[in-house]
Amino acid sequence: MRLFLWWLRRAVSAVATLAGVSILVFLALRAMPGGFAETILGPFASAEQQRELAERYGLDDSAFVQYWRWLQAAIGGDFGTSMISREPVASELGARLPVTGQLAVMAVLTALFIGVPLGVLTALRARPDGGGALGRLVSGLGVSLPEFVLGSIVVFVFSRYALGLSVGGYVPFADDPAGNLTAMILPAAVLSVFAISATARTTRDAVLNVLVEPYVTAAVARGESPAFIIRHHILRNAATPVVVLLSTITAYLLGGAIIVEYLFNLPGIGSYVVQAVGRRDYAVVQAGVLLAATVFIALNVIADLVVGLIDPRLGVTAEGRSM
Amino acid sequence: MTPLMEADDLAVDYQAPGRRVRALDGVDLTVARGETVGIVGESGSGKSTLGSAIGRLLSQNAQLSHGALTIDGESLFDLSAVQMRRVRREKLGFVFQDPIGSLDPTKRVGAQLRLALRGRGASLDVTGQLERVRLADPRRIARAYPHQLSGGMAQRVAIAMAMATEPELLVADEPTAALDSQVRDDVSTMIFALAAEAGTSILWLSHDLAAVGRRCGRVAVMYGGRVVEDGPASEVLARPAHPYTHALANSAPASAAPGERLQPVPGRPPVLTGPSPGCAFADRCGFAIERCRSERPRPVRIKAQSVLCHRAEELAGSAALAVHGVGSAVATTPPVPLGGDRS
Repeated sequence: MRLFLWWLRRAVSAVATLAGVSILVFLALRAMPGGFAETILGPFASAEQQRELAERYGLDDSAFVQYWRWLQAAIGGDFGTSMISREPVASELGARLPVTGQLAVMAVLTALFIGVPLGVLTALRARPDGGGALGRLVSGLGVSLPEFVLGSIVVFVFSRYALGLSVGGYVPFADDPAGNLTAMILPAAVLSVFAISATARTTRDAVLNVLVEPYVTAAVARGESPAFIIRHHILRNAATPVVVLLSTITAYLLGGAIIVEYLFNLPGIGSYVVQAVGRRDYAVVQAGVLLAATVFIALNVIADLVVGLIDPRLGVTAEGRSM
Repeated sequence: MTPLMEADDLAVDYQAPGRRVRALDGVDLTVARGETVGIVGESGSGKSTLGSAIGRLLSQNAQLSHGALTIDGESLFDLSAVQMRRVRREKLGFVFQDPIGSLDPTKRVGAQLRLALRGRGASLDVTGQLERVRLADPRRIARAYPHQLSGGMAQRVAIAMAMATEPELLVADEPTAALDSQVRDDVSTMIFALAAEAGTSILWLSHDLAAVGRRCGRVAVMYGGRVVEDGPASEVLARPAHPYTHALANSAPASAAPGERLQPVPGRPPVLTGPSPGCAFADRCGFAIERCRSERPRPVRIKAQSVLCHRAEELAGSAALAVHGVGSAVATTPPVPLGGDRS
């Protein structure tokens, strides 16, 4: 029953969020100066031409009518057609999703496998007199270094000198796995710098918090070895904030790593949606933003479920003091 | 025969940014096999630091300044990390103040008990171990998570973990301070019974003067990081030989006759930044003379007690240190904790 109510609450709030996001995006697009007709026909088109174009796409109706039309179709699974490419939006986004997905997965896995051990290690080596300044400097730099700076440097270095990894030249994994990886490693690495730093930092703080818990002292007092204590008592108890962070980073990256996609010329979702904003390709923007919001909500639910599995006090089905 | 535990002029400092705090200022204490010793003192007297030092569980900012601590003849601060772990596993047991916090919140009780017992010759029968600490319905408790237990239940689980290996010395740092008063007595009784059965010595750190007096064979009173009085429990509490013990006994609610005002110990405990030049209690002591502030007292023997006081012999001859109210209150009144705070 508790579980059912939890799912119900999550579902209602998800629907409300998606509806809100779709309305907000819809209004924001309509509020932008310069509509589809002006943008496409250019500054010298006559009013007559603009009206004709607007009429053809139904853009002369009121915003409410337009939204209603979009909503009805969207609920039926039809997200419309790109007014630029004349392709269905769903298939356009579908073709770009694997690129963005692969990028996000590569960056997040790197963060998981490098950031978490790094965080645990720096926490265990931390000294109360504020040592570990170098580690803090490096992770601070990683978190604050903008992607366009790091990305530009990487693009420059790897295009100027032949270092074995290619800048641009994306090919689908299915066509050429090796070529795909050589093209994807650099952008994924650029994205992972932030992810690794943030993960290492969060892990370090979480482990430091767990280290002072009485149950860790109790385990030390029982004569357990550091490796045993880390494996059995520290990792799981420190995992909650790391899981939440990783899910947020994943969701953020799945929404499209716009700058990196541009820099490395990757056909991902981020650059596509931004391009669509510029061209007032309404249906594409609408569906793209909604996709990002859905991913966010879904990852949040997953993070909540995982956190519940990790810590019984925080779980979906957490029982209170039952004895 | 070497004593089981011996602290010899043990001094420990905590290094905080910009200042040093001396927590232990030359502790001398021995615990013989099978003995039950209560350590009594206010917050900040150094008793928790002493308890942690015995397991080498001091926080990273603590430093051994001088002195030595031996368990069974082995000098703890000279051992490697691996040797220290062996001493902890084979000889020491700890029970801490926060019972629920001492258990891993993400593991079921049975699972963590099994984890704590494996590979050390203890019985892995979780239900049996929980029955030994008199937990009703052990099967259900084995399946529960720590946050689903009461403080008393959790402390029994922690005791089961500590006592399953039959350690030679059990260090109990205010193990009942966080419990309800009814449960408190049961848990104390059980710890002493299990220890007696296993031949385990107990070092019982407490505010609770009366309870210590009833249960422990010996009492050591700590003040300013030193043991200022040490002797048989009944003697120390009924006929204190140190002015501080006297003040402590008079401030305990149990020692007052009905209608009598409790006399709090005037002033506050000192925070030492280095070795105390004289007696740390001098500033709060009604009997202090010039010498008390400038010269560190050395232990003198007053009857069965060992006392750190320049004027102990003088005062022992007078009635100055008589305990108010019922003289033998210690043995007859219910335990009441000294002071509300516990640190």
